[in-house]
Amino acid sequence: MSRATVLSVAGGLIVFIVAWQAIVSLGDFPPYILPAPAAVGARFVTAWTDGTIAPHLAATLVEVVLGFAVGAGLALVAGYSLARSVLVERLLSPYLVAAQATPILAVAPLIALWFGPGLLGKVVICALIVLFPVAIYTMVGIRAVDARLLELGRSLRASRRQVLTTLEIPAALPSIFGGMRVGVTLAVVGAIVGEWAGADKGLGVLINLARGSLFDIPLLFATLLTISLLGIVLYLIVVVIERRLVGAR
Amino acid sequence: MTDRRPRPVRVSGVRLSFPSRGGDRLPVLDGIDLDVPGGGIVALIGPNGSGKSTLLRVIAGLLGAEAGVVSLGDVPIVGPDPAIGLVFQEPRLLPWRSAAANITYPLELAGWSPERRSRRLAELTDLVALDPGVVSNRPAELSGGTSQRVALARALALQPEVLLLDEPFSALDALSRERFDLELLRLWERAGTTILLVTHSIAEAIFVADRVVVLSARPGHVVADIVVELPRPRSLADLDAAIVSATAARIRAHLGDPGAAGSLELAS
Repeated sequence: MSRATVLSVAGGLIVFIVAWQAIVSLGDFPPYILPAPAAVGARFVTAWTDGTIAPHLAATLVEVVLGFAVGAGLALVAGYSLARSVLVERLLSPYLVAAQATPILAVAPLIALWFGPGLLGKVVICALIVLFPVAIYTMVGIRAVDARLLELGRSLRASRRQVLTTLEIPAALPSIFGGMRVGVTLAVVGAIVGEWAGADKGLGVLINLARGSLFDIPLLFATLLTISLLGIVLYLIVVVIERRLVGAR
Repeated sequence: MTDRRPRPVRVSGVRLSFPSRGGDRLPVLDGIDLDVPGGGIVALIGPNGSGKSTLLRVIAGLLGAEAGVVSLGDVPIVGPDPAIGLVFQEPRLLPWRSAAANITYPLELAGWSPERRSRRLAELTDLVALDPGVVSNRPAELSGGTSQRVALARALALQPEVLLLDEPFSALDALSRERFDLELLRLWERAGTTILLVTHSIAEAIFVADRVVVLSARPGHVVADIVVELPRPRSLADLDAAIVSATAARIRAHLGDPGAAGSLELAS
């Protein structure tokens, strides 16, 4: 990361914190409505040191990683099939769009009912929310593969499998990773929503506890901060993998 | 190329049409007859839309003819064949692979081991005079000329008997193009490959080829098959020879150039 990037990120963070503090001070908000950044920071540190957040984060992380893996895996197959088969597109597209248009918040209780309050239900919700963007980006990427490269493959007698592995997937990787970037952040949302629908552990559960029985608003903010950091870290991991696989073109 | 003498390419009565937007068939090739002797160089020239590149694709086995036969020796060509290498107008390099990985791509598809590919890569870079310092570069880091050199090496990777060149140097500037034509001849002398070159440049066609075949406007058919009486080996200075002007005038006349008659008289 360049010095300019670090400086701009740090500058943006400082402006955000100053603006937050200014709103708290000027609006004279009580801590149970909007705690000051210093209070949130202090609670964030204590929640990590006293082991409040870590087990919940671990539970959410497992749900996110498994849900993303399942959803993205299915989406790659679906996206490729959508790109290469008119029949599959006609059959699958309406359901994909309908699944995307239906709020996951509304579907989550039903999934919790079907799959129970355990890990499986959360993984299903995460997979569902990840499926659409990754499938669509994969479809677009595969359809955008340069027809001249496919002709090159034909002229070199590449088999169907070779065309897929040496031409189509490498050519579509930038687009596929575009979908993965969106998908991995949505997977975090899916996990939190799944936990709200019924769970005994996870960052979504901790949010409910912080605003409910504990009424610890700084902890609520500290949990939100943790969720944001989780999303950023997962996003950056996808970016790093993308840079390694896609490289300079 | 294999050790035995390359087989001739025979195109006999090839017809092909494409569907038009209106639903009709648009004839592109209209009974093409063409013989390219084994180890020879034939240039194919014609106006835009005459079907030169389409004919090349039929010979490469990428398009099937509606009528007629294309054969390599006595064997009909019914699909892409390892004995035929094709260089496209643009290099068509895979941007995510290095120059070396692009050159060895056909070998990889053919199941060659990495060690064998590496040995062949060294031969190919030498054959096409590619700077070994650039083989690890990605296509985006290569000049147009170097990219086309990589594409040429890739087409030669499996030692084809026949090399089909579809205006391979058209994107290069005039000086580079002349240099590449000269290098193509040197490569041909070393490899002995049969070459069919599609070009828009009359000078290039004459300089490189034994014969220049002129196609008509669409639907393409052969309107002239002109022998180039220029001795080999050739050098760029040969382009100033009187026989080149005379041959060029004959080609222009068949291409329907109104100024060609005067040129023909002058050249005669």
